[in-house]
Amino acid sequence: MKVGRIVKVSGPLVVAEGMDEANVYDVVQVSDNKLIGEIIEMRGDRASIQVYEETTGIGPGEPVYTTGEPLSVELGPGLIESMFDGIQRPLESIRDLYGDFLSRGADVPALDRNKKWKFEPTVKVGDQVVPGDIIGTVQETSIVLHKIMVPDGVSGIVKSIEAGEFTVVDTVCVVEGPDKTIHNLQMMQKWPVRKGRRYVKKIPPNELLYTGQRVIDTFFPVTKGGTAAVPGPFGSGKTVVQHQLAKWADAEIIVYVGCGERGNEMTDVLMEFPELIDPKTGESLMKRTVLIANTSNMPVAAREASIYTGITIAEYFRDMGYSVALMADSTSRWAEALREMSGRLEEMPGDEGYPAYLGSRIAEFYERAGRVQCLGSDNRLGALTVIGAVSPPGGDISEPVSQATLRIVKVFWGLDANLAYRRHFPAINWLNSYSLYQNEVDAWMDANVDPSFSANRARAMALLQEEAGLQEIVRLVGRDSLSEWDQLKLEVTKSIREDYLQQNAFHDQDAFASLKKQNLMLQLVLFFYDEARRALENGVYLNEIINLEVRDRIARAKYIPEDRLDEILEIKKEVSKAIDDLISKGGILDA
Amino acid sequence: MIYMFKIGVVGDKDSVLAFKALGVDVFPVYDGVEARRIVDTIAQQKYGIIFITEQIASLIPETIERYDRELIPAIILIPSNQGTLNIGMRRINENVENAIGSNIL
Repeated sequence: MKVGRIVKVSGPLVVAEGMDEANVYDVVQVSDNKLIGEIIEMRGDRASIQVYEETTGIGPGEPVYTTGEPLSVELGPGLIESMFDGIQRPLESIRDLYGDFLSRGADVPALDRNKKWKFEPTVKVGDQVVPGDIIGTVQETSIVLHKIMVPDGVSGIVKSIEAGEFTVVDTVCVVEGPDKTIHNLQMMQKWPVRKGRRYVKKIPPNELLYTGQRVIDTFFPVTKGGTAAVPGPFGSGKTVVQHQLAKWADAEIIVYVGCGERGNEMTDVLMEFPELIDPKTGESLMKRTVLIANTSNMPVAAREASIYTGITIAEYFRDMGYSVALMADSTSRWAEALREMSGRLEEMPGDEGYPAYLGSRIAEFYERAGRVQCLGSDNRLGALTVIGAVSPPGGDISEPVSQATLRIVKVFWGLDANLAYRRHFPAINWLNSYSLYQNEVDAWMDANVDPSFSANRARAMALLQEEAGLQEIVRLVGRDSLSEWDQLKLEVTKSIREDYLQQNAFHDQDAFASLKKQNLMLQLVLFFYDEARRALENGVYLNEIINLEVRDRIARAKYIPEDRLDEILEIKKEVSKAIDDLISKGGILDA
Repeated sequence: MIYMFKIGVVGDKDSVLAFKALGVDVFPVYDGVEARRIVDTIAQQKYGIIFITEQIASLIPETIERYDRELIPAIILIPSNQGTLNIGMRRINENVENAIGSNIL
């Protein structure tokens, strides 16, 4: 192919001439260091290239080689438990070869070419296969069964297929197409990152993705295949929420994209995940996790690509029929990378300097989420849930990235600096957060957890909203001016907030609450409210009700281990008994 | 329909008996527990005003405070036959201060 010449270098943006054979979004190699770049704009034979590596020392006159291929990721066994950079270079292998920090021009294939995987065919010679059909499986980790699929565009009759140990580039299966072309199928396939992988059709997401986080599952649930955004100011716990979801969400595969955030946050993931045990499988959480890291000191252009790399890998696992959750922390850094490139391209800026196409790019990304019927003849269903953190400067969500995100996503977990300051974690504000999946999830909860779940949820939420109104009165005229009934309401909502919504991410028992436990705990708090009302009606003084010792046990119910949930029912009995005692002592009806 | 409220007097027997002559319901009590029960009971029985002697009221401050927040009944402290403890007057002074901002009495 023709070799281009650099005419201009501006940070990660390189302009080259003589590129008339290349197409937009082709991958190129810049200078003799072979820095990887991608063409993002073509004018005549001048191409603007965003370079995914440091461009220090590059100057005009140096060559640019086109590869003629779009930026693609390698998909196959070996993805799980790996950590990649924004353009899917395996960081661990690079460290072994080049040392602790990324060096330029490091050329290491994404998937290990030497490692052998045990391939077991699931089709026979003579079978008819279409794109998406599973031809065999590889036990990638003890919990992930990697399904090898027929790549897009290949169909026909299986001519040969073998079991045994193969590397990802060995031919495992030969398929003869209808026009007699021979396709040699490897375990690895490539897919361009900017193009969503194909599926048959989208299916309404109506199944809860349960996360073990009470405030999320009960009040602001996200479904399998749903989209959610976590905007919040610095220090309000976005990353902890994302980590919690990555740890405990009920997904079979987790893809965690650390995009432009601190390096030690990825270190946390690397240190903590292998030690944590998944409550469902009993195996280490790392065995279902893929990490993409473009930390804040890594090249900014690769940040733009990291989101696409992550979602393409996630889509690949979705196509196997798995429920996949992608966490992107943080999409604001990604948008800032877009802004930086757009500025260097001298495009007309939109709001706050973000490019005019910011909204459509964000939409494009979130639209790749969904619950789908995958390609292939077995009609399997897969789901890809996308949860993106947004870091609005100063916590003001009226900025373009947050607004563009909120237009697309259906769940909004608004983190609140005030709550974080009061040490209320997770600091999800229950008054301004919302979930548009509420109706579907209510139906699902009532069918699968408890028929009264959604009614209880609605009641608790109504109480919390009333509390906000009462608090204003309290601020104006003081707590004593409220009636006993309203004071009781305040006490109960305090209990909902502190005993139910607050959850300690670092406590062994409290970090994860099963739906059964959530249901029992919510019932317990509301049961106390009903019993307290009964006592008030019978003339018991409020002070005596709120000083009951059993309230301490309600507060500690969250620390009850999952296998001793009966204790919550016992607390309920104790509440009844304590209230009965109060009534017989101080009540007037039986006096 | 016009509500007709009743007036009750709670206190030690010697102090409250005379009120009977006025046609008011009287409730003689001897200790705090009994007083609290009586006040709570009659508060729910359409008593608009409950007079209570200061001596008895000083035994049940919680109960008195409880009805401060309610419109009905109004609980008014009165001296007993042993003289005044001044808490009734102090409550009136406090209410005036809360209402208009300074003590004009």
